[in-house]
Parts: sequence; C-alpha cells; structure tokens
Amino acid sequence: MAVTTQQFEGTDILEQKIESPFVAVLRRFARHRLAVASTVVLGIIVLMAVAAPLITAYDPNYNVPRDKNLPPSWEHIMGTDYVGRDVFARLLYAGRISLGIAFITVFFSDALGVVIGVISGYFGGWLDALIMRTVDFMLTLPLLPILLVLITIFSPSIKLLVIVLVLTGWVSSARLIRGQILSVREREYVEASRALAASDPRIMFRHLLPNTIAPIIVNVTLGLSGIIITEAALSYLGFGVQPPDASWGNMLQAVDQTVLNRYAWQAFFPGFAIFLTSLCFNFIGDGLRDALDPRMKL
Amino acid sequence: MVTFLIRRFFQMGLVLLLSTIVVYLILSFVPGGPLDNLLQNTDPRTRPSQADIQRQMKAMGLDKPWYLQYVTWLAGDTWLDTIGLEEYAGTRKGIIRGDWGESYKLERNRPVLEVIGRRLPDTLRLMITATVVSLVFAIPLGIYSAVKQYSKLDYLLTSFSFLGVSLPSFWFGLMLIAATLAFQRNGLFYFPPGDVLAIRSYTVPGLGVVEAKSVTDRILHLVLPVTVLSVINLAGYSRFMRSSMLEVLKQDYVRTARAKGLRERVVVLKHAMRNALIPLITIFVGTIPNIFGGALITETIFNYKGLGFLYIQSLGQRDWPIVTAFLLINAILIVIANLIADILYTVADPRIRLD
Repeated sequence: MAVTTQQFEGTDILEQKIESPFVAVLRRFARHRLAVASTVVLGIIVLMAVAAPLITAYDPNYNVPRDKNLPPSWEHIMGTDYVGRDVFARLLYAGRISLGIAFITVFFSDALGVVIGVISGYFGGWLDALIMRTVDFMLTLPLLPILLVLITIFSPSIKLLVIVLVLTGWVSSARLIRGQILSVREREYVEASRALAASDPRIMFRHLLPNTIAPIIVNVTLGLSGIIITEAALSYLGFGVQPPDASWGNMLQAVDQTVLNRYAWQAFFPGFAIFLTSLCFNFIGDGLRDALDPRMKL
Repeated sequence: MVTFLIRRFFQMGLVLLLSTIVVYLILSFVPGGPLDNLLQNTDPRTRPSQADIQRQMKAMGLDKPWYLQYVTWLAGDTWLDTIGLEEYAGTRKGIIRGDWGESYKLERNRPVLEVIGRRLPDTLRLMITATVVSLVFAIPLGIYSAVKQYSKLDYLLTSFSFLGVSLPSFWFGLMLIAATLAFQRNGLFYFPPGDVLAIRSYTVPGLGVVEAKSVTDRILHLVLPVTVLSVINLAGYSRFMRSSMLEVLKQDYVRTARAKGLRERVVVLKHAMRNALIPLITIFVGTIPNIFGGALITETIFNYKGLGFLYIQSLGQRDWPIVTAFLLINAILIVIANLIADILYTVADPRIRLD
C-alpha cells in the first residue's frame, strides 16, 4: 500500500500547475485585507472621477448665486459653496485634475529616477560619484520653500506644477534604484549575458531592471500618496492648480473662519477626499511590499 | 576625528557655496530681474524713488558686469580695488559679511535680517513646543509597541501612523478650527483659532477672562497649531522609534542582559532604550532647520505670523530679499545640522568611527 501512495503523490506533483509569480503575488496581496479594501475604494474614486459627467448633472463651474452656501440635501448631496456651485460636482471634476497630476508626476519622476539610477549603479565610477553627489546636494535643499519660490517666479499653472514636482521628485527614486542595481550587478546571469556579448543598454534594461521591479512598484505607490498631499497643499496655498479649475487642494482655498464657522461641510469633503485617496495608496503600497517580497524593507 | 572634521568642514564650505549659487540662480530667473516688481510699483505712497532703486541695484551688484554680480552679492565690493578693479569698488559688504539687503515691500527699507529676527521668537516658541510634545509622546509609544510587538496597542499605533502620514496637515488644521468655532458658538470651552496673540481681552468659558498678550493668551493660541504639528510628527517619530527599538532588542547584549537575570524593566529601559535612542539623533538634528523655517502650511492656516507665514507673504509680495534670506538661512542650517548629527553620532556611539 505504501508504494501506491507514493505513486499517487508522484503524479500529483507532475500534474500540479506551477503557480506563476504574478499569481503568487496576487495571492499574497489578497491576504492583506486593508490593501484589498483600499484597492476597491480607490477604484471607486478613480471611476467616479473619470465618469463624472454621468454621475452628476451639475456643471462644476456653474454658479447659482441664489443657492450659495446650501447645506447638504438631496439636490446637492454635499451642499453648495460660497458662489453657489455644487460641491459634489466640483469634487468629482477636481478628482480628475488631482489624480491626473499625481499619476503623470509620479510616472515621469520615477521614470527619470529609474533611468538615472540604473545608469549610476551600472556604470559606477566618476559618473556614479557625480550623480550621487548631485542627489545628496538636492536632498539638502529645503524642498517646500524651493518649490514655492520656483512656482512664484514662473507663475503658477498645472504644467509648471508637474514640471517642478518631477524635477525635484526623481532624486529619491534614483537613489533607491541605484542601491538595488548595485546589489544585483555582480550576479551570475549578468556575467552570462555579458559573455554572450549583450550590449550595455540590454543588460541594464532587460536583465537588471526587471530584477529591481518590486521596490520600484512600491515606491511608485507610496509616491502617489505623497504627491496627492503635496499637490493639495500647494494648490491650497495658491501655488498649484488655479481657479476656476477645481482641484481637491484649491477647493479649500476660499475656506476662512466665516465658512468654517457656518458652512464647515465645504471644507470637510474636499479634504476628506485627499485623506482617503492618500490613505488608500499607502495601504496598497504596504500590501504590495508584503506581497512582492516579504523580506523587503523600504 | 580631526582629519574627519577638517574634511567635513571643507565639504560644508563647498555645499554652502553651491547653495548660494543655486539661490542666486533662482533669483536671476525672475522675469525682468529681481528689481522688476520694484520698478512697476505705481502706488504713490510706496513708489520707490530713483535713489531707492539705485541703492537696490548696487546692493545686488546689478550695476556691474555679469561676472562681478554674484561676487558682489556674496562678498561685497569694498575689496575690489585691491585686485585692480577700482572702478567697481563700493561700500557693499555682501551676504557673508552680514549685508543681506533690505526689504522691498513688506517692511520697506528695513534690513532683512532685522525683519526675520523680529518674527523668529514666535516661530521658535511654536516649533520647539511642537517638537518637544511629539518626542515626549513618540518615544514611550515607540518603545512600548516594540516591546509588546503585535499587541493591540502596537496595531493601534501602526494604524495611527498610517492615518498620520495620509492626513493633509492643512485639512486637519481647518477641521480643528471648525471644531473650536463650534464649541465657541455653543458657549463651551474653546481655544482661540488663529493669530499669535489676541488684540482685545476675551472670555473663555471655564477659564474666565483672558487678558490680551498675557502668558495664558499666548499658551491658548499655541494649543491648536501645536496639536496639528505634533500629530503629524508623532506618526513618523513613533514608527522610527519602534523600528529602532526592535532592532536593538534583537542584539546579543540584550540577550546577555536577560541571561544575567536582570529584570525586564532594567533590560528595556537601561540596556535597550539608550541604544535605541541613538538613531533619534537624525530626527532631533533634522528638526533644527525646521524649527527655524517654521511650518509654512500650519502657520498660514492659523494666521500665526511667524517665519513660515512671512515667507509665504513675501513670495506673494515678490519681496525677493526676504525670500533669498529665508532660503539661504534654511540651507545653512541644514548643512550645519548634518555636521552636528555626524559629530553627535560619534559621541553617542563609540562603535561609529569617522575616518
């Protein structure tokens, strides 16, 4: 009997499907309940922003002076603001701008950071030294004051906001990627592809980069959370998205003590959207970190 | 140690020089030059006279050829005749000798350093209080949740730190103001929602009449901004303390201490905690530039007229000398703070050798 059991086990192993790395990551991610919930919530937020015209009939910039400062009701589920615009409609359209800026900024700053980091880590030598000293220097600059002064000089707009955030944002991801590249640079498969006469770019972007993808993904997710808050703060201070365009940050710009005293909901909803979105990105980042590499620390 | 210090000082000088170049470059990007705003001022009460403009141009070295402008701004022009450039010699001392120029608009013709100096005490009060409060809570919380890892409180703290890093400080501040206004409206105890000091005396239920500009007045005004700053800091600091403590608790000497039969209290507080505090130097020293810079956003929300508020204000008014001074002082403090951190590390931990 013992023999047959062993045979069964043998066939089991042969017939068992090998789990692809992607499925394995998904399975581990699914165990992080908060991360899964955050993905769902974030999905809803993004969908609502994208489908804004289908969800609300109100124009985000159409003001009805007669209906200003209305409390939340069935007609205006989040009330109206100080010139009579529907807060819910503005929130949805603002989501497009805020989320759009966040995705574009993080995409470009991480892409730039990855390219610079890979080059720095792979070639080493004086180039690496130069890049890393630049990174060190940029990290010593006071970030927020510099952002503000640059935006003031070139007069604020969405395009400028993205450019400035990208130019200051690549630094930390470049440093992270460089460290990762250094740790895989001396592996055997790199030597093997070099023996096969692979070119430098091929080794860098076909062999090294895919092996550092896990920390990049986590870095991107956490970066999104940070950018959502930074953009909101800059727009709140008047240095980001300019009215009449709505962003979650600049919706709070007109909020003063009178508004807070009598119509506090006008301040509550946009800020809560920022908070919730940022929180979702943080939880997803945490879940991805656990799922992609349980030993990894960032 | 001496070689390290010499090398470090050399690096420091280099970084500072680079910072001045960056700041000067930023200013040169101002469309129409840094004096543009001054020239366009048509308000009869504040319009600068020709003499004012000449003086500002001299102060920034704009009357000189381009290769001398930065040098004049940095080191002045009193010494230019000694190197054979008599025609450009003047009376400027340059920023390295304390000549930082004068405010254009906010406080016309007052030296920038004086304007900054006057705002500094309020910012120091706010930032030092906030830092102390957050450390006082963060250190015990971090230690406790590391010692009792995976306990209820540890989970609570982890969730709290997630909330803390995702919380936009300006929204949190606005909500606090809304809450305190609601309290005030309903005749309950409340905290003043803005400003550094009150102009007139006011009554707070449960506390009686608060005299304007008294110590009580000052403290009441500090409560809300300090709360915002501390809650935001606390999230990061306590996580930092927790991971530092977890790292130390794994060390051999902690096991040795336990094996000797020391009480857990002694092991944790004496052997582990002291070492776990070392990485906190980074945080502690990192706050030095922040303490000077104030909290741009928090000061703006609470109308707290410190340095952060001044910076935003001078950007709005295009008062470039103040902007420049703020950026430069910030950069200098960051560089000095880094040096202090390095030195403190060697003092606190003999295992770290620096040469």
